Amino acid sequence: MKKILFLAIIMALPFATALRGENEGAPFEAESGDASDSPFNQSKFVPDISLMLDGSYVFRNTRNAVYEMLESPEFTLTPGGESWHGHEEPHLRNGFNFNYAEISFYSMVDPYLELFAVCSLSEEHFGLEEAHFTTRSFPLGLQLRAGKFLSGFGRINEQHAHNWDFADQTLVNNAFFGEDGLSEVGVRLTWVAPTDLYLMLGGEALQGTNGRSFGNAKILNVKGTPVANVGNGPNLGVAYLKTSFDIGELTVLAGASAAIGKARINHGLDLAGKSGAAFAGDTRVLGGDITLKYMIDSLRYVSFQGEYLFRHMEGRRFSNDASDEMTRSDMDKRQSGLYAQLTSKFSPRWRCGARYDLLWKNRVRENGVDEGLPENMPRYSGMLEFNPTEFSRFRLQYNFDASKYNCESGAPERKINHEVIIQANLAIGAHGAHSF
Amino acid sequence: MKTKSLRALPETETSTAQKPPWAAFSRFSPRRRSKKPNTHHAASVLRFAVILALLLWAPALYAGKLKVVTTYPYIASITEQIGGDRIKVDHLARGDYDPHTIVPKPSFIARLRRADLLIISGAQLEIGWLPPLLRQAGNPTVNPGAKGFLDLSRSVRLIDVPKSVSREQGDIHPDGNPHYYLDPNNIPLLARSILTKLSALDSRNAGYYRSRHGEFAKLWNAKSAEWNRKLALLKGKKVIEYHKNFDYLLRRHGILLAGTIEPLPGIPPTSRHIEELEKIMSGGGISFILQDVYNSDDASRHLSKKFNVPMVKLPHDVGAVPAAEGIISLFDEIVRRLGQ
Repeated sequence: MKKILFLAIIMALPFATALRGENEGAPFEAESGDASDSPFNQSKFVPDISLMLDGSYVFRNTRNAVYEMLESPEFTLTPGGESWHGHEEPHLRNGFNFNYAEISFYSMVDPYLELFAVCSLSEEHFGLEEAHFTTRSFPLGLQLRAGKFLSGFGRINEQHAHNWDFADQTLVNNAFFGEDGLSEVGVRLTWVAPTDLYLMLGGEALQGTNGRSFGNAKILNVKGTPVANVGNGPNLGVAYLKTSFDIGELTVLAGASAAIGKARINHGLDLAGKSGAAFAGDTRVLGGDITLKYMIDSLRYVSFQGEYLFRHMEGRRFSNDASDEMTRSDMDKRQSGLYAQLTSKFSPRWRCGARYDLLWKNRVRENGVDEGLPENMPRYSGMLEFNPTEFSRFRLQYNFDASKYNCESGAPERKINHEVIIQANLAIGAHGAHSF
Repeated sequence: MKTKSLRALPETETSTAQKPPWAAFSRFSPRRRSKKPNTHHAASVLRFAVILALLLWAPALYAGKLKVVTTYPYIASITEQIGGDRIKVDHLARGDYDPHTIVPKPSFIARLRRADLLIISGAQLEIGWLPPLLRQAGNPTVNPGAKGFLDLSRSVRLIDVPKSVSREQGDIHPDGNPHYYLDPNNIPLLARSILTKLSALDSRNAGYYRSRHGEFAKLWNAKSAEWNRKLALLKGKKVIEYHKNFDYLLRRHGILLAGTIEPLPGIPPTSRHIEELEKIMSGGGISFILQDVYNSDDASRHLSKKFNVPMVKLPHDVGAVPAAEGIISLFDEIVRRLGQ
């Protein structure tokens, strides 16, 4: 991974010097001078700034206190237990939810680089969702990005929440990458092939502190002694290939992705007098995605998007009970999940859609013995959306969620959740256009 | 995706949108020739060899040509008039779609990736779809500000530049009305910018471009005179328009805009707004309702029937209606439909 960084820097040097003087010096009329015009006025250099707001009203047949304790065994932890951009998961509670406000900044840094940052705000927290620079002057279809960014793994991972077709994250992405998705600090190199067929190759070297599938946490026992060696440096590599072509008015986009890295994940193993667990091992996540979008006419379309993910985690699990007795075991987890969603913009301002979510295979073996955990945990969703303009969106969504279990008392017990989400999402300011 | 060239000028190189995906690879092996033909099947082998060589060489032939990508078909058509067979022109958007809301297909990235020159209409018409494509194409040659980038809106004077902007006013364009190309008198300014750019990028063929431009300009002048004569007859007439697509043409010819079907740019008509239009129309004196080909014509149709005022569907770009095959036939068709 260090090689990639080194290569990128070496490549950047000659081109940075070669690409000078490309400004054309288009003749501009001198602005009529305002009284406020100082000769050093820089107001025209203000970057594109936008503010996005997302809130919802949720009806759920499960009380908040119960819902917060539910989980999908070995896939997710309890929804209340994790943070989302440093604050609560959206649509968590019955009643009103202020999900997030998002401020984004975008501008060219100079003729060679562009900078993009998204800050996520809640009532009490400030988080950095993305902040990265990307080269705009590399030749041969190459682009380098560095900073904190959403990985190009799969299809939905790189899309921001406000750009999703449904109010909530897909089950499988949530299970494998957490509520923030695979968002990491690192560097990415992409290459677009010089062919008529769209072909894009990407590789990323990431720090890998995701917490769900990857991590480099210190794993200590209650005495503070390390029980597994700690990761040092980037420990996650991601690679993907995407291709797209059109058949008449049907656009096909398909991709294959792999994320391979180390997992050092600690869930309170070092807390004395409490039960905790930790995992140290290797993780592979493989994914395949396909998007089909058919334009009925200029303003209407039907779109299908589906993704399948497989995860294999192999290593040692450490667990600690209330009497501070630590046990080690060999773990082998093979899990998979998928989602498939069909949406249609059936009129210029209206969209509807249906989604099938599934946490599928769940083969977890401890010391070679299958734990016999629940499999086939589905969720069915339907949505109707009204978009008065491209800057405002109101969405009604229903979820039949059979993916969550109560694991408090021994054997997991399925709890069916019916959810109705009424969501509002608004944007002001200069918000850049979305890609396909 | 081919823009048909003007009939008055020789047919130009066709677009290669239908080329198989592997064709580009064959460019890397253009020197591969077939072996000496066997005497027995000499004729058929030779024929095969010729076809094979042609297939392999075809991409190599235009590999030396300037590859121009334009956002809209009308730009491709003007560019073809000037560049002729010395360039390869390709456009991204369909001419019969709403130019504001083109879906940014990944296949467009592949085309931008290899372009030597990108010509855009500008004035923020492409702001909703082009920037992410350019960002992903990784082609610094055609980045805004680079040599291979041309924004045509810079060569004309835009009208209706708002004093202040707020999204309260709908989907407004801070630089002014971006549909400047729907006035035939602006086209020569665009053609001249394209000539300058082509000559700068490909100085070897500058003479060729200049002579083609000269022919085009002459033809355009003649056509313009004819269109202006016909449009002059509409002076003082009042019209209703769906979206402010034709304001440049209306203003130049003294045709008065009495209202728009959209209450605000980009906002579909509401029943209250239609009532207001009905009030305006009941006063009489409205000659046409101008409707585009991509928005719903329900409101226009309703008003047209109620007040017995003809609804005229006007093409807004090359390819919007079958008769608008090129930049000249586009205006022939607009003038013909207005004159009916």
